[in-house]
Amino acid sequence: MIYFLLAYEFFKIGLFSFGGGYATIPFLYHLSQIYNWYTIPELEHMTAIAGITPGPVGINVATYAGYKTAGILGSLIATTFEVLPSFICVIIVSKLIKNYSDNFYVKSVIESLKPISCALLLSVGVNLLKTELHNVYSLILLFVLLLISRKSKKDPILYMIIAGVSGAFLKLL
Amino acid sequence: MKQLSLLNLFLIFVKTGAILLGGGYVILPIMQSEFAEKKNLVSKEDLINYFALSQSMPGIIAANMSMFIGYKLRGKRGALIAMFGIIFVPFLCIILLASLLSMFVNNTILQGTLWGVGIAVIALIFLTAREVWTNAQRTLFFYIMFLFAFISLMMFNLTPITVIIIFSVLGVAVKCIQRGLIK
Repeated sequence: MIYFLLAYEFFKIGLFSFGGGYATIPFLYHLSQIYNWYTIPELEHMTAIAGITPGPVGINVATYAGYKTAGILGSLIATTFEVLPSFICVIIVSKLIKNYSDNFYVKSVIESLKPISCALLLSVGVNLLKTELHNVYSLILLFVLLLISRKSKKDPILYMIIAGVSGAFLKLL
Repeated sequence: MKQLSLLNLFLIFVKTGAILLGGGYVILPIMQSEFAEKKNLVSKEDLINYFALSQSMPGIIAANMSMFIGYKLRGKRGALIAMFGIIFVPFLCIILLASLLSMFVNNTILQGTLWGVGIAVIALIFLTAREVWTNAQRTLFFYIMFLFAFISLMMFNLTPITVIIIFSVLGVAVKCIQRGLIK
């Protein structure tokens, strides 16, 4: 029975959460209030862990919450049912793009997405940077990383390793 | 572009899931590096479109984007494989490491590493924005759409989904007017 409930609740989360991982957290708060699956401090703890393990935060929290509630099978159900609604949406949208790629309206939407994506990325970058502005080391590290990008091709893994190691090193000093 | 086996597709997504740290927006640079630069399987143009579409749909951005790529390469089965691939490592990490990691949440070295990765994420986001900018056909349409979208994001605190929907509709309207003027 708990498995059906988990499937139902996480399907709903997948269907109604817009805007990525952290958007699922309010729904999980709500769940902790109506069921005794986990407590709110436990949820905060789960969110912290989900943020530092690899993978999308929304998926990680779902896995963790499912695991807390009903073990490994629970985590499998929670995760799968959370992505199921978007799976259906992706298939429908992909078909639309494929079949109507010559359609004037579809082409216009796709052409509009480029400047919008660019604006989105820039605004996220600026907003993230604002929280780091008080810290000189952050700005130096950012500057060094941007300098490296002029010399070599941008490789996300390389960047994360360099920055992660220098971060750990700075904290030890 | 040659067809990719389902196993290889799965493995690429497993790798992508393993290096995905620091929130949804870093997904675009990671996918561009894995699928466009290293393997040349999907064009950067397509990836930018999937990125925007993924945000205007329900669900987790990274999962949505993986399923778009999977579908593009191998249809419905590809999308399913992509979904399981991207959650594979994160899933194992949570199941196996969660209890272990919870002891280290306040550890200084871990905190420092995470802070560093956070800066790398900012750098990657800026670099990707610059790349989208340089690779786009910068018509008057592009500049105007970009400017107004950026202003509404920064000044009016609109959520990404609102901006994507409003500006897609505006974009279509502008294109309609342009077409009308040419005719």
